[in-house]
Amino acid sequence: MPLPFYLFLAEGLNPMNLFASKESGTPKTQAELLFEAAQRKERTFRFNVALTWGILLLLLVYLFSGPIKVDADFIKENMLFIAGGVGETIRISILSIILATILALLAALGRLSTFPPIYALSTFYVSLIRGTPLYLQIMFFFLALPQLNIRLPGLWAGVIALGLNYGAYMSEIFRAGLASVGKGQREAAAALGMTPSQTMRRVILPQALRFAIPPTGNEFIAMTKDSALVSATGFVHELMWRAVKVGRAQFHNLEALIMAAIFYWVMTIILSYVQNTIEARLAKGDR
Amino acid sequence: MGSSIVQVSHLDKYFGRLHVLKDISLEVPERQVVCLIGRSGSGKSTLLRCLNFLEEPSHGSIEVDGIKVAGGEKGREHRQLVHDIRLKTGMVFQEFNLFPHMTVLDNVIEAPVIVKGMDRKAAMDLAEQNLDSVGMLFKKDEYPMRLSGGQKQRVAIARALTMEPRVMLFDEPTSALDPELIGEVLNVMKKVALEGMTMLVVTHEMGFAREVADRVIVMAEGELIEDATPEDLFKAPKDPRTKALIDRYRSGEQ
Repeated sequence: MPLPFYLFLAEGLNPMNLFASKESGTPKTQAELLFEAAQRKERTFRFNVALTWGILLLLLVYLFSGPIKVDADFIKENMLFIAGGVGETIRISILSIILATILALLAALGRLSTFPPIYALSTFYVSLIRGTPLYLQIMFFFLALPQLNIRLPGLWAGVIALGLNYGAYMSEIFRAGLASVGKGQREAAAALGMTPSQTMRRVILPQALRFAIPPTGNEFIAMTKDSALVSATGFVHELMWRAVKVGRAQFHNLEALIMAAIFYWVMTIILSYVQNTIEARLAKGDR
Repeated sequence: MGSSIVQVSHLDKYFGRLHVLKDISLEVPERQVVCLIGRSGSGKSTLLRCLNFLEEPSHGSIEVDGIKVAGGEKGREHRQLVHDIRLKTGMVFQEFNLFPHMTVLDNVIEAPVIVKGMDRKAAMDLAEQNLDSVGMLFKKDEYPMRLSGGQKQRVAIARALTMEPRVMLFDEPTSALDPELIGEVLNVMKKVALEGMTMLVVTHEMGFAREVADRVIVMAEGELIEDATPEDLFKAPKDPRTKALIDRYRSGEQ
């Protein structure tokens, strides 16, 4: 498609532009005109982006409705079974992010400690976890621990592995959050007679946690996808596990994986939207 | 001087090998308003911050309202004494340092409730009284972000006063303010002075020093080089460095 035509199409079709051009009344100042031109440019850009998204989606739908054969009956039959994994995926992600947040906070506080063993414990944990693959850690809890006669229920083994892993990475977020609170805040609290622990609880942590909320949201979104790795153990019947199970059994892996992909994608889009809303609210908040 | 509320004796402060305060001794009687002036780097802020141990003195001692703390010590007893001395002193910072996640009222009642264990209702009454006296009661439910610099600083003064300190320390309280906002803060400080508070003020505001201070101390290179009433100091500065400071202020005034 020739680009000039595309742009013209966008300008002409964009209902917001049509609507905007109808506004009239008092003559506009130059600043207003410039502002409107900038707005128009911005709207046109966003419209073109949305248009291209639409085209790409249509292309995908077209591909799977003709050139690439998919078995519609299989999809219909197994839709509910695969969809049933969404709840399990969300459950394991929520439990894991809670554990990860607690560990991340402890690790970040440990990094502030002037007591060597605590500082070392924190850096040791982060180094060990970040230095080994997530897949290995998950397998360790499912396959290696039973050899020591430690048998965790499937879900909990997954939660502990994911929580430990994400906690190590997220400790950096909390560290940055704690560092974002200026020295002046500690000094003001100290001058008012607050003890270090009062200062931490009442002044530093509330500000640091607020700073850490948006990136924690990002980690949660990433976690919903990494939770798919837990399926490899066969003990947690989440989205990925169900897709692989039915796909393999009936040799319809293509359909099964596409369905799982769509579920993950939609979940991610919804979570990103929630995340953006929270972020926007925090940004214009009371700080 | 038996009635001194602040006594600094033989105070030394090193930052690494840098000797920023050199054997400073100073007594401030109750209800006196002292302005500390001097060029930047003269040690005046460090001296002020040593008084409530935001900077730990290297040697010497500080006594505020009968609580005597030696510098350069460690341990539980020392920490308790530092805590006690901080309850005797209120501090106002150049950058205000209000707590951004709390409303104005919560900023002011935080320490009385958390540190002194004051009843919340009583703390609120006292806080509102002090906010009223700095003219900020009408913003008590706002967050600091929504206040101008001058308003923030007035809240910071109310916050320090609500701890009912015996001595107020001001560390360049107007240096971060837009020129048109300086007056409102200086007026509040003047009011606090007139109510009989003992005050030590590090400032570049010579007008304030001249009008409100009982005593002006000039610092240079970590020493007190001149200590006089504002009248004497502005009329007949003894040290050439004081003279230079005053001349610069005069030329800026015109």
